[in-house]
Amino acid sequence: MSTSTIGLPYLGYGLGLRTEHYQDLLADPGQVEWLEIVSENYLVNGGLPLIWLQRFRERFPLVMHGVSLSIGSTDPLDEDYLSRLARLARRIEPAWVSDHLCWTGVQGVNLHDLMPLPYTEEALEHVAGRVRQVQDRLKRRILLENVSSYVSFADSQLSEWEFLAAVAERADCLILLDINNVHVSAMNHGFSALDYLRGIPVSRVQQFHLAGYEQGEHLIIDTHDAPVSHAVWDLYIEAVRRFGRVSTMIERDDNFPPLAELRAELEHARTLAEPLLRNAA
Amino acid sequence: MSSLQALQQQLLQAVLSERTPATLPLVRADGIADTGSRLEVYRHGYRVRLRDALKQEFPGLHHMAGAQFERLLDKYVAAHPSEHYNIRWYGAGLAAFLDYARPWRDRPALAEMARVDWAISIAFDAADEPSANIAELSAVAPEAWPGLQLSLQQNLHVLDCRFNTAAFRRAADQGGKRPRLRRLQQPRQLLVWRKDSSVHYRQLEVDEWQALGAAIRGEPFAALCAQLAAYHAQASALPRMVALLQGWLEAGLIRGWSFA
Repeated sequence: MSTSTIGLPYLGYGLGLRTEHYQDLLADPGQVEWLEIVSENYLVNGGLPLIWLQRFRERFPLVMHGVSLSIGSTDPLDEDYLSRLARLARRIEPAWVSDHLCWTGVQGVNLHDLMPLPYTEEALEHVAGRVRQVQDRLKRRILLENVSSYVSFADSQLSEWEFLAAVAERADCLILLDINNVHVSAMNHGFSALDYLRGIPVSRVQQFHLAGYEQGEHLIIDTHDAPVSHAVWDLYIEAVRRFGRVSTMIERDDNFPPLAELRAELEHARTLAEPLLRNAA
Repeated sequence: MSSLQALQQQLLQAVLSERTPATLPLVRADGIADTGSRLEVYRHGYRVRLRDALKQEFPGLHHMAGAQFERLLDKYVAAHPSEHYNIRWYGAGLAAFLDYARPWRDRPALAEMARVDWAISIAFDAADEPSANIAELSAVAPEAWPGLQLSLQQNLHVLDCRFNTAAFRRAADQGGKRPRLRRLQQPRQLLVWRKDSSVHYRQLEVDEWQALGAAIRGEPFAALCAQLAAYHAQASALPRMVALLQGWLEAGLIRGWSFA
């Protein structure tokens, strides 16, 4: 077991910041050590979102997590989006900035979804070049997250983990490993989630996401609207064994339970991880 | 065109298409699920996300359209691919769509309602602006008042309303019963603005709109008073103007002033 060697801080156990929990979280932060914001919710000119954000900035370490970078799209990078993202990063000085290894639209149309890429040399070169562009613009390394997917492509020459690892190495960026998404895609495409973990370079992994999914008729649907499943907790244990001490958070995007339930899930993550980390120390 | 570009365009078309294609050669086939089911996850998700975003931004329209609301959203989603990275901005074209698309264009209250909802939505996170207070304005010398030009908040919107649309929005905001749709005898103006972090809306009195409209056009204070003179006797026009001004200041509508 080893830990990340590429210079960003370890933040501990955190939650995704959602309006539904604003009041409760400020009133009692409890064991929540850091928060991840959805960047797009705060790329605004003024008003209440930025007032709340400032309050949380004063109390918690924050990280920015975007859904619109569209790093894999063949459309040009959105200059307006990048400028706003850079401005927000200057404003709140997050511990890091992340987005997804995907494309969200093409030909000027936005699908507002995390569309998978073909795992080809062409896509690899395209994405790595754009990550470097974004990192130059933001003046920091970014994290890319693996997405849940429902299609894979006949042209793919690499596995998803080989592709993710190669992007990280070639662009010199970091990885946000969503353990739930690894499980969902493994089930949907019939690969081994453990092979996936073994294929990701330890030193590149800066953050874990834990979340829940919905079982469809043939496919698992990544809804992020349910408690973390047993299978994902098991995979989390394997991830902790391989990657060591990695900042971990519960990501809930819909069907929000009371904050206490998310805190309990977060504590469960801590309870699983800490003995393994102590034994390894 | 690169093969990556071609792949993305084909997948985009599959997601936007009215019916899910049963096969798509670029998608790898396997024994877990057929290609049609796989593509349907994306096709369905796209529509659900856009509809959810619209529901969030258009509660008044939801109240007014009632059972027709879902169909209205489906038609808009089918006619308008999303172009902005922020899904919240997807609703920017909804009022214009309702202006021209059948059968909605035959119910003009719907487009008007969509405009009211949208004005409230964009005021929510418009740029913060300072607002002037009464004490600062009191310091203006009496002889300077006729030439005083008010600067109003940029996040202020005035909408022409021919129906009681504000009542629908209020009912939606307060969980009230659906009001009865009523055409106003004369078009009236609805003022939408934000004070600090709260968005407000209210119907303007006829005389108030004349004075506020003159202020928005940048006319000096003397011209605002002249507008009120058409509605009030000479002795009551100035007190009315003072009362209006006080109300605008308290509501945070005035950013500052200059002199003509």
